[in-house]
Amino acid sequence: MLLRNLKQLLLFNFIFSLLLGDINVYTHRHYDADKKLFAKFTDLTGIKVNVIKGSADQLIQRLQSEGEKSPADVLLTVDAGRLVRAKNLGLLQPILSNKLIENIPAIMRDSENYWFGLTVRARVIVYAKDRVNKSELSTYEDLANPKWNGRIVIRSSNNIYNQSLMASLIEANGTKNALKWAKLVRKNMSRKPRGNDRDQARAVASGVADLALVNTYYIGLLANSSDKADREVAEKLNVFFPNQNGRGTHINVSGGGVASSSRNKIEAIRFLEFLTESENQKIFSESNYEYPLDYKNTNDQFFLKWGKFKADDMNLSILGERNSNAVKLFDIAGWE
Amino acid sequence: MKKITKYFKDEFIFRMNSWNFISIIISLFIFMPIFMIIYNYNFQSDNWSHIKENLLLTYLSSTLYLVLGVCIVSTIIGVGCAWFVTCHNFYGRKYLEWILILPMTIPTYIAAYSYYDILEILNPFFNWTRKNIGIKETIMIENILIYLIVIALFSFVLYPYIYLSARASLLIQGSRLIEAANMLGTSTDKIFRKVILPIIRPAIVAGSSLVVMETLNDYAAVEYFGISTLTIGIFRSWFGMNDMASALKLSTYLIIFVFLFLATEKFYRRKEKYNNIRGNRHSYSRISLGRKKTIIVLILCLIPFVFGFLIPVGRLLTWLIYSNINLMDVSLWIITFNTLLISIISSIVIVFFAYLINFSKNYFNNDALKKICHIAILGYSMPGAIIAIGVLKLNSSISGIIPLIIIGSTSGLIFAYLVRFFAVAWQPIESSMEKQCASINQASRTLKIKAITSISYINFPILKKPLLLTCLIVFIDITKELPLTLILRPFNFDTLATLTYDLVNQAQFFQSSVPSLLIIFISLPAILIINRQVISEN
Repeated sequence: MLLRNLKQLLLFNFIFSLLLGDINVYTHRHYDADKKLFAKFTDLTGIKVNVIKGSADQLIQRLQSEGEKSPADVLLTVDAGRLVRAKNLGLLQPILSNKLIENIPAIMRDSENYWFGLTVRARVIVYAKDRVNKSELSTYEDLANPKWNGRIVIRSSNNIYNQSLMASLIEANGTKNALKWAKLVRKNMSRKPRGNDRDQARAVASGVADLALVNTYYIGLLANSSDKADREVAEKLNVFFPNQNGRGTHINVSGGGVASSSRNKIEAIRFLEFLTESENQKIFSESNYEYPLDYKNTNDQFFLKWGKFKADDMNLSILGERNSNAVKLFDIAGWE
Repeated sequence: MKKITKYFKDEFIFRMNSWNFISIIISLFIFMPIFMIIYNYNFQSDNWSHIKENLLLTYLSSTLYLVLGVCIVSTIIGVGCAWFVTCHNFYGRKYLEWILILPMTIPTYIAAYSYYDILEILNPFFNWTRKNIGIKETIMIENILIYLIVIALFSFVLYPYIYLSARASLLIQGSRLIEAANMLGTSTDKIFRKVILPIIRPAIVAGSSLVVMETLNDYAAVEYFGISTLTIGIFRSWFGMNDMASALKLSTYLIIFVFLFLATEKFYRRKEKYNNIRGNRHSYSRISLGRKKTIIVLILCLIPFVFGFLIPVGRLLTWLIYSNINLMDVSLWIITFNTLLISIISSIVIVFFAYLINFSKNYFNNDALKKICHIAILGYSMPGAIIAIGVLKLNSSISGIIPLIIIGSTSGLIFAYLVRFFAVAWQPIESSMEKQCASINQASRTLKIKAITSISYINFPILKKPLLLTCLIVFIDITKELPLTLILRPFNFDTLATLTYDLVNQAQFFQSSVPSLLIIFISLPAILIINRQVISEN
């Protein structure tokens, strides 16, 4: 073990990785479940998985700067928008795999086979059980209603989950309405955006606000945390899936693609296929509370507790296409 | 034009030798990543007008508030503590001298994380104001409070930079001035205002410019507390909007900020030469304090230590208990070993180059080198993330010539540290060489002693101590470094800083305490050696 690390320090690691046919993965996913899955993949195939973790944006910059000589084989991100950007920058290559096409619903992968969704997350409303009646809630659009004045917390617009939600709102309602929405929701916030989704949930639990927009798995993580305070937060909250009578709740995927510079294309494809196999999908969802690709038929107790939901069937490529517009609208709306 | 040709002939052809030539090449190479960024500068930006219209003012104002606040508060703390500890005699002074420097081991992001829930504690208060005063007012109060908290947090861990330089200056010059002023019957208060402050002002400016740079470079802490500084803007436009041009335009603003502070520092440094009074070798005379005053001073001086070190470390230690992390886990110790090794190697490399170039400059007095070497220290004014991208760009354009050297290897990381921290090593080495070796070098050149003999047998023994000190300061900086390492780290390679960041990102605060504490404990011995040197220098 020590020797292996010394090798890294002596700058041989790159040459080694080329000779051994390992795959090099650039990933934004920093969850324990991934570690388990990568180890399982190595056990099964003998292909070692080398990992560089970082934010998707920085990894994309790194790929771009490294150009053709990049050692990367696979890029994993936590948002479809970033995958679309990677594709548009020429950092991914199209791959042919019937297995991937079979395992992944059409809206969750690129129509030209550049990128593929691996897990699903829904952006939902969580509300304080004691202060909000479920019947008051309906849609994302309704959050702009003045009745929520001073009752909402949402994180910063720097965050890609918000940007993607905004992109979906632009697609559904048009730029003008989306901007109006952002302005009104920002006005309804009970504080300046700060912290992550988990902090928003905490804020609702402690009475700073009555509802928040968060990704589903954060609630799962809170409810099953080793910290008692976290579990108490989850106790006080309920999950609501918005827009059930209309287009459905906004979803996003974390996913990946094969880097255009990949020298181990076959192994890389195998790796992606491995992640979409149903038993491995289970490891994804169970340890990180993300929905599997086949979210409609999941029988995990935890998800059943929230109930089934209807997802927006908008093609996720749109999230990428509308991303920069979404960011700009947030800026104009004054949503930090 | 003639002038330029003549200059070129004089400096580059007649007075050039291998030492100057190599030094110029190294300086240029250190400057290369920054050059790559400027070279690739695309002036066309679709977003710039949007940023200018909607965001620039926020970026500038919040950066200004933060920098000014941190600068003022940390100067008050740093100078106050240095003044009491160095020039007064009271019970506990010796201990204070040591513990006041400890917060330097804590990076700003760890300080922020260890107080991450401070605002949550205030929630009941905000709930009350929301109901009784109003939502708008509450948001305003909260906003101001966030600034105050972040300013305090930064100041409590950054003031040691000012404390150290102010104390070093006081140790050299304070005693005799106090004696003289005492003899003239001036009150202590007046001595401080009229005599001490003007004398140590260059040291204060030098220390606070480091504080400013650290504040500007922070990303993780301001991101966590939701303050939109220029650095946040750079990250957002470069990484978020994929708009390098706007990011570069924003970083020019950042560089202007830094330049202003550096310029004032240079201005005062120049002045310092005239008022460098060396203290007598006999014992340092201090102002004695009565019991009442002792208690007040003790409490005042303990505040920064308590908030900047005791509470963060205490919290991290309590988290350690809950973390149920396996301390025997090999990978944790490998990461620690990695961090140590890369910090030690890099700091030696950086100090070596800074020493070499400084020597060439000092020994041969070459005008061209004197001018060119200054571009090598620009890296310190750039956010780590930008340097990282510059290094990657440089790599992709030269890897045809020198293949495999930078990508995915630790040597690339070391080179990036060289670019980023060269200035940290440069300034102390430059000033001690000018003070202690300038005349010796002149003499040895007249005596035709070879440069290689001079650098290794004459300069090195004299400068051993400052070189070691510089090495330690750079070592601490690298151990704490985050944004650059985050982008450039090779496969399966983590440092304690990146591990901390990853764990916090997963909201595993308990687990993150382990690498955080290790960073602090690794830096501790280095800090203590630095402190001992500062004391014994007198």
